[in-house]
Formats: sequence, structure tokens, C-alpha cells
Amino acid sequence: MAELIEERTLVRPVSRKLRLDLLTQRMVLVAVVGGIWWLSSLSVPHYILPGPARVWEALQLIARNGDLWINLGITFWRVTIGFVFGTLVGLPFGIVLGANKRAGDFFEPVIPVLNTVSSAIWAIFAIIWFGISNATTIFVVFMTAMPLIITNVWQGTRTVNADFIELARVLRMPDWKVMTKIYLPTILPHFFSGARLAFGFGWRVSLVAETIGSSSGVGYRLRQAADLIRTDQVFAWTLTLVIMMATIEMGILKPLENYLFRWKKDAEEQ
Amino acid sequence: MDGLTQKTCTDTERASFAIRLEGISKSFSNGREPLEVLKNINLIIAEHAIVGLLGASGSGKSTLLNIISGILKPDSGQVCICGAGSDEFNEWRAISYMFQDDRLLPWRTAIRNVEFALEAGSLPKAERARRSRETLRLVQLEGFEEAFPYQLSGGMRSRVALARSLVTDPRILLMDEPFSRLDAQTRTLMHDELLRIHQLKRMTVVFVTHDVAEAVLLGDQVAVMSPRPGTIREVVDIPLGRPRDITQPEVTSYIQRLRALI
Repeated sequence: MAELIEERTLVRPVSRKLRLDLLTQRMVLVAVVGGIWWLSSLSVPHYILPGPARVWEALQLIARNGDLWINLGITFWRVTIGFVFGTLVGLPFGIVLGANKRAGDFFEPVIPVLNTVSSAIWAIFAIIWFGISNATTIFVVFMTAMPLIITNVWQGTRTVNADFIELARVLRMPDWKVMTKIYLPTILPHFFSGARLAFGFGWRVSLVAETIGSSSGVGYRLRQAADLIRTDQVFAWTLTLVIMMATIEMGILKPLENYLFRWKKDAEEQ
Repeated sequence: MDGLTQKTCTDTERASFAIRLEGISKSFSNGREPLEVLKNINLIIAEHAIVGLLGASGSGKSTLLNIISGILKPDSGQVCICGAGSDEFNEWRAISYMFQDDRLLPWRTAIRNVEFALEAGSLPKAERARRSRETLRLVQLEGFEEAFPYQLSGGMRSRVALARSLVTDPRILLMDEPFSRLDAQTRTLMHDELLRIHQLKRMTVVFVTHDVAEAVLLGDQVAVMSPRPGTIREVVDIPLGRPRDITQPEVTSYIQRLRALI
């Protein structure tokens, strides 16, 4: 029997050397970008382009006085709430629109319209409706994330294999079990990529919303630093965001995706 | 099971049949005029028998199988499944259906795919896992419980599908050209496997095929169907011992006889 199993199933020993190579490459890349940054900063005033050392100092300052953590926390909280609401609305809506053809046909034009409205416009509406408050940022994140999740989940329902539904029917499976055992696992990869996109977009638009409609958060601090021409602080905030997004992406989302969808044939690894 | 007449059978009836089809007719409305797919089918299938439904494409053999399974309702006629409606007879457990393709859920491991057949019912999780493990052992897939479908060869996937249809311990196993997508060598292996399991489990097997050799190698009986509208032309008994081999002269002569009938 064992010889029947195809070779690709055998656990691929990810070569240690390959990993080290990759790590070296990444470090070289960071060093090159840092070097260009440092060289460019030498010939221009620091309020136009602060050098790495200056930014590092600014970073230490906001980290020490607690500014960094408080505002990062506030922004993170707002993005998460908006994202959670977006999921709570987007997931069931996407499934219903996908499962019910009439509803799907009827609402079809709404999604592209929602997707094309700029986040800045949502931010302006939010200020009119909610004023300077948490709700403004949450609303903007929600309005950005929700259509993305609906679109992806909707597309996911279209890929549900009719043969699997027939199998479940032959086994006399009740409807709700067909939902949880066939629909949900099929939709999950689509939902996941939609959610990832939505979370990333959410972060970006939250800053826009905070710069104009908030008195706290990273976006607000960014604008403040810009107003005071503290370019080093603008850089420090930006750097923090980049590092945080990269950590979430590579440290949480990517491994989670690899684990959840390990049943997929990985084309690039063959 | 709308198409079924639920029936508790007496011991004498049980001895005489597992499935009885009486005057089954079925039409599909295809565009303007209805297409008559099955016309007045009468067939009695004995308990523990292996019966082939043999016919060219368009003879309605798959439709007939779907009617026996209850997926389709006949326009007229009756399907009697012996024992249906009695207490120990639980319909979804009594009849199993094996598709033409293996139809494994790609996101489930082999054992979880087998368990799927039990998940419509209310068995506790541990019991489902225990039975599935046991059935995988029956089809000789011990050690591959945690493999995902993409990691298995065609033959192994077919074994998982077979295990999935056996895990409910069915009295009747319906198979729609179940091994037709496998290569010849693997198909022969799966035939032996099916016959070996039949010796152990003694379930009634009804399989659909367009392959005359397959019908003769597996069947105790072969119902030859003629197309448009589908009718049963003749039911041929094949009282040969097992194992059967395509090179045996008796087998060859049956193959020729059936080929002439199609």
C-alpha cells in the first residue's frame, strides 16, 4: 500500500539552508533600504527627511512617555470593532446573497457602488453623523470592510460543489448540517482572504478617519506631528504601524491560513 | 424516502427478496416533449445478491438506481425495500449509495470523510470515530486515517469512498459505475476488494455498469437494459464460482452472450 502513496505526500524537509538564505536576503534588503534612507537624509534638512537616528530617538520618546502604546491601542481597538461588525454583517449577507439567487440578483449592483465610494467620503459622512468620536472611525472601517467581506463570501458560495450537496442529500443530512459541513468549509478560504483584505484596508482608512474625525489614535497623532512639523515623529508613527501590520500578517494571519487550509494542494511547493 | 413503499416483511419474504420493483416508469420533461427514460420495470433482487444493471448509455440504468435509492421518485410503480418501516430498520442506514466519482471532501482527512456518512445521525463523536477507523481497516487503509484526499492515489480514494458507504453498515449497497474512473489494474483490485467485503458483510449489492466484463466478473445476476425507453431485456443468472477471471472460458462465453443482448 505504501508505495501507492504519491511522493509529494512525504513530508518535505524544508531545508535549513534555504531558510537561512531567505533570512539573509531579508536582512540585506532592510540594510539597503536603511542605507539609502540614511544617505538621503544627510543632504536635506531634518524636518524634510529625518535620518534613522533621529527617528529612533523620536520613537523612544513616544514609547517612553506611553503615547505610543495608548494611541496604538485605541486605533487597534477601533479597527477591530469596525472589522468585527463588518464580519457580523458581511458573512451572513454574503451567504444569503449567494444562496438565494433572487436576492443576489437584486442586490448585485449595491456592492460595486459601496466598493467605489472613497473612504474619505465615508469619513466626512461619519463626522457629520457622529462628530468627533470613536464611532466615526469605527463607521469608516465598517463601511470599508463590510463590502469586501460580502464580495468574497458571495464568491465563495458560488464555488460550492453541487456534487457534495448531492452526497449530503443522499445521506439524508438536514439543511443546517449541509450549511455547516459543506457550505462553511467551502466558503472559509474565501472569507479568510476577504477578512485579511478588510483588516488591512481597515487599518489604512482608520488613519484617514482619525486625522479628521478624532482627538486620539495614531491618525490623530500623525496629523498633530505633521502640524508641528515634527517629521521625525511622523516617521516614528509610520514605522510602528508598518512593523505592527507586518507582525500581524506574518506572525498570525499567514500561519493561521497555512494551518486552516493545509488540505489544499500547494501548487508552488511541488 | 418518498419513492419507497415502507414495508415490514415476513421471514418468507425476506428470504425471497431484498428489493422489489413493480411497474416502474419515469419520464423527464426535456424541452418540449417528455422523454421516457424507464418503462414498466419489474425486478426482484434477492437478499445478499450482487446484481448488475448493464446497459448502454441512455438505457436509464442510473435513473433506476436513483429510484431504488429514493433520490428520484418514479412517475408510477412501486419500490419495495424489504424491512423498510420496521423498527430496527433505519432507512438512511439501510441503503448506501456510492457515486461514480469518489466525491471525497477535500478539507477532511480520510477518517473524517468516512465519518461524514454518520454525521447525519446522532451517534456520539467517539463512536463515529471508532466505527470509521474500523471500516478503514476493513478496506485496508489502516495508517492512512489522517491523510487528506490530495495525498492519496486514485485507488486509495476509491477505498475511502467505499469505506464511507460501508460505515453505516448498510443492508443494501447501490453503486453507480463506482470504479469506472480507475485504471484497469486498480479496478480489478477494487473488484476483489468488494467481493471480499461482500463475503464478510453479506450486503445486497446493486451496481450499474456499461462494462460487460465487469458485470460478469461481479454479478450473481445481470439485468440487461435496452435504451429509449429503458426496459429490462433479460435477467441473466451467472452461477459461476469465485474468484472469476476474464481468461476463464465460462466467463468469456457469458461475456459474449451478454454482449449480444445489449
